[in-house]
Amino acid sequence: MAGQSDPDLSIFTAPEVEFLAEDELVEIVPNMRMEALHMICGDFGPFMPQIAVKVPLWLAVALKKRGKCAIRPPEWMSVERLTQVCEAERESPREFQPLPFHYIEISRLLFDHAHDDIPNLYMVRSLIEDIRNVRFHKVETGLETISGRTHAVKLKNLSAMEVNIVRPFVVRALQAFYKHDSPEMIQQPEASASKRSQVVDRVPRRDLRPR
Amino acid sequence: MGHYYNIDDIIMEEEPILVSFQVGANGVGLLDPSSETNSVEKGAKVDLPFWLAHELFLRQAASVNVPSCYSQKTRKEIQADAACVDLRSRSPYFYELGCKVAPLVGDKTIGSFLRHAFASRYKEALSKAHGAALAKPPKYLTYLTKEESSLFEAARTSMEAFKKWQAGGSRLERASILGRKRKPGIGTHPSSP
Repeated sequence: MAGQSDPDLSIFTAPEVEFLAEDELVEIVPNMRMEALHMICGDFGPFMPQIAVKVPLWLAVALKKRGKCAIRPPEWMSVERLTQVCEAERESPREFQPLPFHYIEISRLLFDHAHDDIPNLYMVRSLIEDIRNVRFHKVETGLETISGRTHAVKLKNLSAMEVNIVRPFVVRALQAFYKHDSPEMIQQPEASASKRSQVVDRVPRRDLRPR
Repeated sequence: MGHYYNIDDIIMEEEPILVSFQVGANGVGLLDPSSETNSVEKGAKVDLPFWLAHELFLRQAASVNVPSCYSQKTRKEIQADAACVDLRSRSPYFYELGCKVAPLVGDKTIGSFLRHAFASRYKEALSKAHGAALAKPPKYLTYLTKEESSLFEAARTSMEAFKKWQAGGSRLERASILGRKRKPGIGTHPSSP
């Protein structure tokens, strides 16, 4: 699936990524009574007052806007958990911590629509911002290692929005490197040229963050 | 021949390169501004656009010289500090032209020189592009070739779009057609009396 906004590069815009993130499930505590909702993606509900239930984020936001529920922040959005993640990110300069694939978008949506449901809102907000900055800096330092021999880049635990930001740059850079490294342009010495032809489909791949 | 619909490829083929004629040619004096008769003599050195030079080369009517932007002087400058070399003034299609010219002149070192130049300049673009989402360095941009500046722009616009999304603003944009007032009586139907 490709984004609709730019047919040439097939990238997503930030709002499109946010739209995809709205399918993630969150827990809400309704304060009204309602029949179960039957959607294509599954059934949600029935909704009983004070009985927690899991719904997609878009539904949670819609109910929250009408004052029909309280959203329970996901367990990774607590101050203790985020502090741990932030410290781990700082301590390990070569790998990314596992976070939800859409953590930037989910946190943004919850800050916008459910700020009264999040304990320690300011703390959580600044922690997430810190984590994002640390991770992005890691991506940048990692990309500096790309060279002519790189044909693919492996990024483990990178989130949707982070990938989306670097995608146009990385794709173009890899294309340029690939073009300049083509065999017509770079004359290989004879010995290594014959060796390379055997492993032509196993081009070396560089792990951006080797484990 | 490049991609038929690629505008950059088409413009790139306009770049002048120096060729020396291996044969005399009659009736094409306009190619050589210094010629007094309406012909180009054997051994004359003329600046021709790449597409013409390429065709003449294939017919063995001319030999292609290494363009000045791949000279030893440029190579020395790239070795010293790649990021500060003004490649755009040398040729806005520095890399593309290099790839095309290299097989014609039979200089094996151009390929690796181009790769080295791109690899060392790429790091500079990387460190500046994402940070420069809001304030862009105008001086640096003028040094970039076409390919590098499109790379830089790709990074800058995606970062800018993210910053804009993060800062918020109106989440739903109204389609421009909705804001218009409907004008009565316009079009084919005249207003009824």
